[in-house]
Amino acid sequence: MRKFSSLTSLSALSLGLLVGFGSVPQADAAAKCIDGNRKPPYTLGWANIYSVPTWMKQTQGTIEDEVAKLKKDGLVKKLVVTDAQGDANIQIQQIQSMIDSNVDAILLDSGSSTAPTRVLAEACKKGIAIINFDSLVDTDNVTAKINTDSLEWGAGAANFIVKALGGKGNIIVLNGPAGISVSDDRRKGAVPVLKANPDIKILAETNTPYNVAPAQEAVTSLLFAHPQIDGVLSLGGALSAGAVLAFEKQGRDMVPISGENARQFLELWQKYHLKAWATMQPNWLGALSAYAAVEALQGKDIPAFVKIPLPVIDDSNVASYVARAKDFPADGYVFSPYDQALFDKLLAQK
Amino acid sequence: MSLAANSSQGVNPLYWPVQMRRNIGVRGLFLVILAFIIAYGILFPGLFSVFGFAKFTQSWFPLALVTMAQAILMLAGGISLAIGPLVSLGAVIAATTMTQSLGIAGGTAAVTLAGLVIGAATGLIVVKLRLPSIVVTLAGSFIIAGAALLILPRPGGTMPPWVSNLLAGGTPAAFGLLVLVVLAWKLYLATPLGLSLYAAGENPVGTYRSGASVDTALIAAYAISGLLCTGAGLFVAAQTGSGDPVIGQSFTLNSIAAAVLGGVGFLGGQGTMRGALAGSLLLSLMISVMFFLGFTPVAQYIAQGLIIVGAVALPQIRGMRK
Repeated sequence: MRKFSSLTSLSALSLGLLVGFGSVPQADAAAKCIDGNRKPPYTLGWANIYSVPTWMKQTQGTIEDEVAKLKKDGLVKKLVVTDAQGDANIQIQQIQSMIDSNVDAILLDSGSSTAPTRVLAEACKKGIAIINFDSLVDTDNVTAKINTDSLEWGAGAANFIVKALGGKGNIIVLNGPAGISVSDDRRKGAVPVLKANPDIKILAETNTPYNVAPAQEAVTSLLFAHPQIDGVLSLGGALSAGAVLAFEKQGRDMVPISGENARQFLELWQKYHLKAWATMQPNWLGALSAYAAVEALQGKDIPAFVKIPLPVIDDSNVASYVARAKDFPADGYVFSPYDQALFDKLLAQK
Repeated sequence: MSLAANSSQGVNPLYWPVQMRRNIGVRGLFLVILAFIIAYGILFPGLFSVFGFAKFTQSWFPLALVTMAQAILMLAGGISLAIGPLVSLGAVIAATTMTQSLGIAGGTAAVTLAGLVIGAATGLIVVKLRLPSIVVTLAGSFIIAGAALLILPRPGGTMPPWVSNLLAGGTPAAFGLLVLVVLAWKLYLATPLGLSLYAAGENPVGTYRSGASVDTALIAAYAISGLLCTGAGLFVAAQTGSGDPVIGQSFTLNSIAAAVLGGVGFLGGQGTMRGALAGSLLLSLMISVMFFLGFTPVAQYIAQGLIIVGAVALPQIRGMRK
């Protein structure tokens, strides 16, 4: 069994590497979209797809902190923020407005992996630095993309579930919304692992927004339908919290579950001594993007793809996360600390 | 309503007075829009260049089309909750066919057919089974959204670059198209089928008794509405250069908001297409103007609500004073 799973994790890793290499074009002398005509202090535009979710609010918080620092150093003049309210069409219009108002850099968390392609090409032509993070676009017309590897995310979660169940059992799979690249990729990452373990049977899958309430509702109905569920392959932190709450309300015994650094999930993990595994999509991707934009605008070469390693949260270190939980919103994410040294190290990788 | 005016040959002396009377409810809205355009122009003078005008009207165009699609149904006494999924469907069909199997002509035909057929089928169900349109289109929205995801499970596909550049490049081609669509709507209203649309929406029984074909008028309205939606989808695909199976999502609610903002009533037969279009223009203008005013996202949410309430309430307040 162990041999099996290490094999699959190896193949998942090489798959991740392959994908990583595939999206890294050859490094040029200066970063892409930079024409060297823009001088500090810079105006940064933060094109958010949706400001309401807590993850986004926390992310915006890290951007604002970073901008405050950069302002002190005289590198940034202003931060302009837009909120597309979840609508990829409106996001295009807002990016167009940023181009019209001649911002120096655009930080983009995209609502669609394809929709902004053409408007970004226009921004790139005007020498606007574009740093795309979290939800990525398919186009290469950006200065840099910064993200964790969603395929690796899914593979890691699936590996944990396989191991926890000893390679045999009935599971449910909780996905983010359908048709979204991130949720699609996390699910895709789990596929080879599940395929290699045919004794893991998928009873049902859900597609819900990355929110506790809808996930809880969806899992509640699955609990009614399936008396025997041995594990929950959850591909999002809030989804895991919703699943645990559903199990709690139904008085069902807890089962192994994967997840993310959502505070609620981590606290439930400790409360019920769950057999669990989690990783993290760090909120400071936002701060790093602001920092990277300013670095690129100053003519420094930054990699076209900055891969952020996914940390593993398990029984050995979950306590250290929960200990810091009180500093984060109740429905927020407990992210790891960051500083400029970390950013420099991440941006220096090739 | 304005039947006499529209069916006139030459200029009927009643035409302009009637048209002006139809504007009464939306005059406030027109003023608000004028103020926004002036503000936008001051904040961003590039708006009045060909390129700036082209880019702005391109942002507005798909919303304008779906608002017309929604308004047609609301005028006919119905409503559609399937607008967004139809836009997505149009976009994914265009992005998966035009550069591949079917070519540009074939892809356009497929998008057109999908809109007309789905629209007409919805209309048939509503009319023949006498089911409320809100229920039929809600169910339809799930089916259509699923179909879009089947065709393209995740964002992808491509559009021929020259189609993108033609429709959504540096020229106001989209605005030209919109003018053509509006003219076509005017012509349609002059046909018997178009005439019965308003009448069937306001008073179906009376219309039936006076010998007009209510059923045909309604089914045609649904078909046209479907066509406008998938057409908007094709445009969005061209604008973005690709397909996204959930790109249309927010159009359902926005189309209703724009139509209601423009004075189109929920009960059928009330309102004008120019009002609905104005409503969609205001929604689109607001986004850009608030950006240039430097509003924070939170302030934008509040301002958006206030502007909408204000634009709807303005004529009411003036009415009360009289």
